[in-house]
Amino acid sequence: MSTYAKGKLGNGPKMSKGLKGWLAFVLIITAVGGYFILERLILGLDTTNLSSITPWGAWIAFYIFFVGLSAGSFLLSSLIYVFGMHQYERVGKMALFTAVVCMMVALIFVLMDLGRPERAINAMVFWNVLSVLAWEIHFYVVYITLLVVELWIAMRADLVRLRPSDSLRGKIARLLTFKNSEVTEETQKRDHKWLKILGIIGIPLAILGVHGGTGALFAVVGAREMWNSGVFPIIFVVSAMVSGTALLISIYIIKSKATKTPIDTQMVTSLAKMMVAFLFIDLLLQFYEYLVGVYQLDSVGLQSLATQMGSAYSWSFWGVQMGLGALVPIIIVFNKKLGQSVNWILFASILVVIGIIGVRFNIVVPSQIVPVFPGMPAGDYYPTFSEWMVSVGIAGIGLLMFTAGDQLLPLEESPEASGEEE
Amino acid sequence: MLKQMLEGDWNSIADAMVPDAKKELDQSPYSTQLGVAMADDARRVIAGELDIKEFHKIHHKNLLGEFGDMMTQDEIERDEEPGKVKWAMVIDLQKCIGCDSCTVACKAENRTPPGISYNVVLEEEIGEFPNLAKVNLPMPCMQCDHPPCVQVCPVKATFKLENGIVAIDNDRCIGCRYCIIACPYGARSYDFGESYEDEMLSFNDATSPEYGKERGPRNENGTPFGNNNPVGTVRKCNFCLHRLERGEEPACVETCIGDARFFGDINDPNSTVSKLAASPRAFRLKSELGAGPNVIYLK
Repeated sequence: MSTYAKGKLGNGPKMSKGLKGWLAFVLIITAVGGYFILERLILGLDTTNLSSITPWGAWIAFYIFFVGLSAGSFLLSSLIYVFGMHQYERVGKMALFTAVVCMMVALIFVLMDLGRPERAINAMVFWNVLSVLAWEIHFYVVYITLLVVELWIAMRADLVRLRPSDSLRGKIARLLTFKNSEVTEETQKRDHKWLKILGIIGIPLAILGVHGGTGALFAVVGAREMWNSGVFPIIFVVSAMVSGTALLISIYIIKSKATKTPIDTQMVTSLAKMMVAFLFIDLLLQFYEYLVGVYQLDSVGLQSLATQMGSAYSWSFWGVQMGLGALVPIIIVFNKKLGQSVNWILFASILVVIGIIGVRFNIVVPSQIVPVFPGMPAGDYYPTFSEWMVSVGIAGIGLLMFTAGDQLLPLEESPEASGEEE
Repeated sequence: MLKQMLEGDWNSIADAMVPDAKKELDQSPYSTQLGVAMADDARRVIAGELDIKEFHKIHHKNLLGEFGDMMTQDEIERDEEPGKVKWAMVIDLQKCIGCDSCTVACKAENRTPPGISYNVVLEEEIGEFPNLAKVNLPMPCMQCDHPPCVQVCPVKATFKLENGIVAIDNDRCIGCRYCIIACPYGARSYDFGESYEDEMLSFNDATSPEYGKERGPRNENGTPFGNNNPVGTVRKCNFCLHRLERGEEPACVETCIGDARFFGDINDPNSTVSKLAASPRAFRLKSELGAGPNVIYLK
């Protein structure tokens, strides 16, 4: 055990050249984005292209995107801890940690979007039980707590092993564990049991509460034809699974490449197939959603669809959502040659993640372009440079959190596996 | 010179002209005493000394005894207690000429910043030449019975007052703009902190007078922190609640050139708005959504 602690994990982060470069990059984008975040806080939402006609924009799109990534990653982790798909165990803790970081990033986006960010706590204090948004905020808090506890239990054994280490990692491990913590067969059994229990609680929380709920936030709005359907929250959950799986494939491959550890090709191809399966369900649901929308021949509904699919914004739908985000990855994964190549799968996964960003924008923006009342001015929204830069800054904060966690916490595969490598 | 006529003189003329009530009533088969008492009380009701409900209470039993249930009926029980006001507006589209003076009056009254107008007039040409018509649609907040905006607000910063008006607590609003998304009538606006200060001296000095609350000057650059002015929150028409409280009509109603707007208590069946709302010309916007708007249009 102690040899393990002195080994790979115990040495802690050696600041390799690649890592230094990466950190420098993340710090620079965070600093540059930070300037625009400050500007937004001082000048208010005047720095955005938002208006009373299009009150929600890029930040809300990114918010639901990151909530989706979080819910998707979490659900993937519960495939491992609850449904016993141990072939994916290598990405288990990483999935949980990604879920925590993505959720925090999502909440920072919401905070940026609030007109009065200093009053955010009001949402906890004055709880309007009729408001889906109020429920969501409470769900998010419970969800983050559950994720953190589950992650801690998943890491506990490794943290205890790290205790004797002198490195920064060891110090953090001592901070996070109790003095008399030990790892025995019994505790491992207990930890697995709790992981399963928390996972089981977490699944409905993530599906119904966090992401289905975020979809419901849009779906309950009777004033907006395009969102107002029962299948909408389901689409949210399925597209969360798509993006969550794609993100974890990307993270796993990129990290393995950066640290020059061997890649489990079988797991990657199997995850890629799962991602495409989710993508197909997503497309199917969207197809029916659009079919019902068109079939009613309601003018506002048709106009919204026309805005999405045939206006100046349609490049986002056909190009990003359908082309890059769906068609190309499906072709790659189903191609006999490309589907076996790790690099191509990485490419496909990144495309899927970008495609889902497109999906989120296409949800939020086009339905606010058509005026709620015929005769009112139509919306005209495209994010300002400042909005993009704030988004970059928040993504930078997320990457910083992720890198810090990745370097300081034992999120890697379990020690048995790493022992084999050495 | 004519004699100065005093009350007594008028009374003696009247007495001579009007037949004696007692004698007349004696001729009828019914109680004279009851007739006189009811007439006296009726006078008191007209003079405002007696409540009409009290009048019914006093005489209901006597009437039942005298006439039986053929001529009188049991007291009608009202669902809502009378006297509870519910403000409503009726807009006659045939009278609206599309002059936008309501919008101007509203902006002047509520001192709304650029980009915000609690009242708008939509203008549309319908039909094809030569069968053209121009339709003007003035739109304040509909002050719905079941407001979707109130439903979605996560912090209960917007709510329905007892008089039916949907109000906003700008000190609680977090500016999430979910209510703007949920409003089917586009009646809500977000205060981005813009100002007319460049064109209009001391615009910033007085903020919105709505709800009769002093909110201090508007910030110059729209910083949403550390002040209690409505920058960074959502704003909307409130039927000029501050004017209603001092017995005045909303600014748009008062200013309307064509007298197209009517304002009153829709719970009172005798009010102008109630009568107009019962007209076959009356309709409400997007009534299929079930929000129950309290702005009623006459087509």
